[in-house]
Amino acid sequence: MSVETETLSPAEELSNFGRARRRLLSNPAAIIGIVIVVSIVLAAILAPYIAPYPNHAGSFVDFRHRHNAPSLEHLLGTDNVGRDILSRILFGYRVSLLLVVGVLGVAVPAGVLFGLLAGYFGGIVETGIMWLTNVMLAVPPLVMALAITAVLTPDLIHSMIAITVLWWTWHCRLVYRVVKSVVAEDFVEAARVAGASHLHILFREILPNCAAAISVKTTLDAGFVILFGASLSFLGLGVQPPTPDLGTMVAAGAQFLPEMWWEAVMPGFAVLYAILGFNLLGDGLRDMLDVEI
Amino acid sequence: MAAPHPLLEIESLNIGFASYGQTTQVLHDVHLKVEAGQRAAVIGESGSGKSVTMKAVIGTLPHPAARVLGGSIRFDGQELLSLSRRERERLKGTDISIVHQDPLTSFNPVFTIGEHLDDVLKFADRRLGTSSDARSRRTRIEATLRQAQLKEPERVLRSYPFQLSGGMRQRVLIAMALMHRPKLLIADEPGTALDVTTQDEILRLLNQLVSEEQLTLLMVTHNLAVVRQTSDYVYVMQSGRIVEHGPVREIFTAPRMPYTQRLLEAIPPLYGPKVQHRQAHSETVVITANDVVKRFEAPRRFLEPAKAPVLAVRNASLSICKGDVFGIAGESGSGKSTIARMIVGLMPLSGGTIEIDGRSIADWRKDPAFRRRIQIVYQNPASSLNPRRTVAETLAVPLAFAGAVPKDKRAERIRELLALVELPANFASRYPHQLSGGQKQRVAIARALAVDPEIVVLDEPTSSLDVSVQKTVIDLLLGLRDRLGLTYLFISHDLSLMRNFCNRIAVMFRGEICEQGPTDTVFDDPQHPYTRALIASIPVLTDAEEQAKPQVTLEERRAVLASTIQ
Repeated sequence: MSVETETLSPAEELSNFGRARRRLLSNPAAIIGIVIVVSIVLAAILAPYIAPYPNHAGSFVDFRHRHNAPSLEHLLGTDNVGRDILSRILFGYRVSLLLVVGVLGVAVPAGVLFGLLAGYFGGIVETGIMWLTNVMLAVPPLVMALAITAVLTPDLIHSMIAITVLWWTWHCRLVYRVVKSVVAEDFVEAARVAGASHLHILFREILPNCAAAISVKTTLDAGFVILFGASLSFLGLGVQPPTPDLGTMVAAGAQFLPEMWWEAVMPGFAVLYAILGFNLLGDGLRDMLDVEI
Repeated sequence: MAAPHPLLEIESLNIGFASYGQTTQVLHDVHLKVEAGQRAAVIGESGSGKSVTMKAVIGTLPHPAARVLGGSIRFDGQELLSLSRRERERLKGTDISIVHQDPLTSFNPVFTIGEHLDDVLKFADRRLGTSSDARSRRTRIEATLRQAQLKEPERVLRSYPFQLSGGMRQRVLIAMALMHRPKLLIADEPGTALDVTTQDEILRLLNQLVSEEQLTLLMVTHNLAVVRQTSDYVYVMQSGRIVEHGPVREIFTAPRMPYTQRLLEAIPPLYGPKVQHRQAHSETVVITANDVVKRFEAPRRFLEPAKAPVLAVRNASLSICKGDVFGIAGESGSGKSTIARMIVGLMPLSGGTIEIDGRSIADWRKDPAFRRRIQIVYQNPASSLNPRRTVAETLAVPLAFAGAVPKDKRAERIRELLALVELPANFASRYPHQLSGGQKQRVAIARALAVDPEIVVLDEPTSSLDVSVQKTVIDLLLGLRDRLGLTYLFISHDLSLMRNFCNRIAVMFRGEICEQGPTDTVFDDPQHPYTRALIASIPVLTDAEEQAKPQVTLEERRAVLASTIQ
């Protein structure tokens, strides 16, 4: 058998995945991101077991210990009805992660699907979908969410719906842009010459080439969904008391600023911690997968 | 005045690249000597280390990945590697200049050509410790542009890079390099990215400038024919080593190293006894095209008046017989790829008819049976193979769709196909990035053959490969044609390759077929002035071939070429 004598450099022989993993693990910021995200997920799952006062997550009231400053007994202090803030933050992450999974679980597939269709078929499909997304993106997100939650009763499901309706457009635009450049590659035409169906070309040829961009964007989004959900409940439009939620806690604690600073600052830091974690992880993934967002 | 030492002298240069903690040595004991006034060339295929050597001379090695492991580079007696960064910078553009390969990416698109040139001059002056005013710089710039044979220097200076043609941009790059009367001019594959007629003009210009200005030229190229045209002394590089060097005439007539011999043999001859003459196999016509027209409508933009459509192909007619290797030659934008795509049924016609086996493809082209009749191999396998799919997955696509091969028979067929293109069976599980360029192209050929087509359109299948690899792929294609009774439609801009590969050839010029006939007839007695100019521009390896080429006067060239000659 005659095979050309061209040789591959060691870097090329190393599989894509192996190279990418090395790039991720040599990035300290990404490692911090992984640690933070894992800690948040664990906190949410194990909240009933690791929270010092699991019963404080509900409508517990203990006026003897209200407005206690951080101490060994209550590491992050207590709120205006004497509930342990640390315990409520741990349970609050459950709501945040539920929001992330609910919103991105619908918005990402929907956005990806519309982006694929618009980028691949072009013409009237492209014009229609891209006009719709551009109009949606032109509406200030918070105003839109306020309008939706004002019409519906404010609760977790409805704020999820409000955020989802806004969020898919970002993924649609991103995937649309990636598809536009992938479609220009010869392998798409080659698949057509091989007689492949639209379904095959869309999901087997093009979609895998968008996977890197989608996963980076989704990771970065997770942090922003948490922030957006917290903003909604800060305004009283999200999760209703007594369910512990980071945004509601900041809103409740803000009344007692600056004397009882921990009541607003501690849940605020919890939001910051989560966003920081997802952003560091997202940036690490972006460097590792070598994509532009 | 005889210089006491060579202008450039590289001795035992060793350079390594560090990645992920391991250092790979890319240059091994490179020796190179260029005397003042000499025209030298470094030749090698991709990855041979020729560009790294040049970067080491100019001082633009990627930092900190590249490491000089030893050796010396002396310029005009001065050791470059021990110079401080600042002293090194001072040499750039003033003593040593470089002409880059890609004339588009070498410019910043948001600045005019005038701003580019002025910056170069201003900072070069500043490095030399002199200051200059804008007007005197302008005079010098215009003089240099005229030297690079650019007409209307004022208009060129006002233009943005995208407003100039590739040939003009290359001339501006040459002017930029000449601005400060450098002692040594390094030319990195000049004109390679351009059409052969433009490349020819650029090489003539370089030669003329070198002799007029008494420059020392160091040419870096992969094209041996270009070396013959522009150099007196040549260094052959292979995997980071200089394997052979000597005067051009000597190396070309009596190469000592097997690598050089292989390199020389791999280049298809244009004229002479070594030319392979291909004969027609039969008289049965399989493809006929009658007055084919392709019009591209400019997309309508919001609130803009409609633009005139572009005529990519005008009234092209051709007929291809069974077993033919039919070549369509032409430069970029001539419409050759558009014709190919219409014949494969990827694009509707704007006028005329195309028939395959006497049946019009207009309504047939969406049928799987049509897909089994005709297939295509693309120019660049890096783009035509999906990076996320293994070889087996890629080959399974035509089998599953056009071929309708049941699932359990596909693995067997994939093994057969790999054997057909002479690849080991275990390549089935590899991803494209684990294959070399030639291997990728073999996979692309295997994909085209998967459904046993009778006609294969080859759209510049070897233009992204090194010459030695090109030869093996062409040999494979010829073998497959004989074994499987295929008919090829070969699209290319490489006329010396077509001379040896095709039995019929059509030359396209601005959307029209300006000449067609048996390959030997077209090359021995070209009729159309464009064909004559095109063949005359091809760089060749021997003086005998140079004389056999059609003689074309400057007036004739000007009549058919979008020339930048003054």
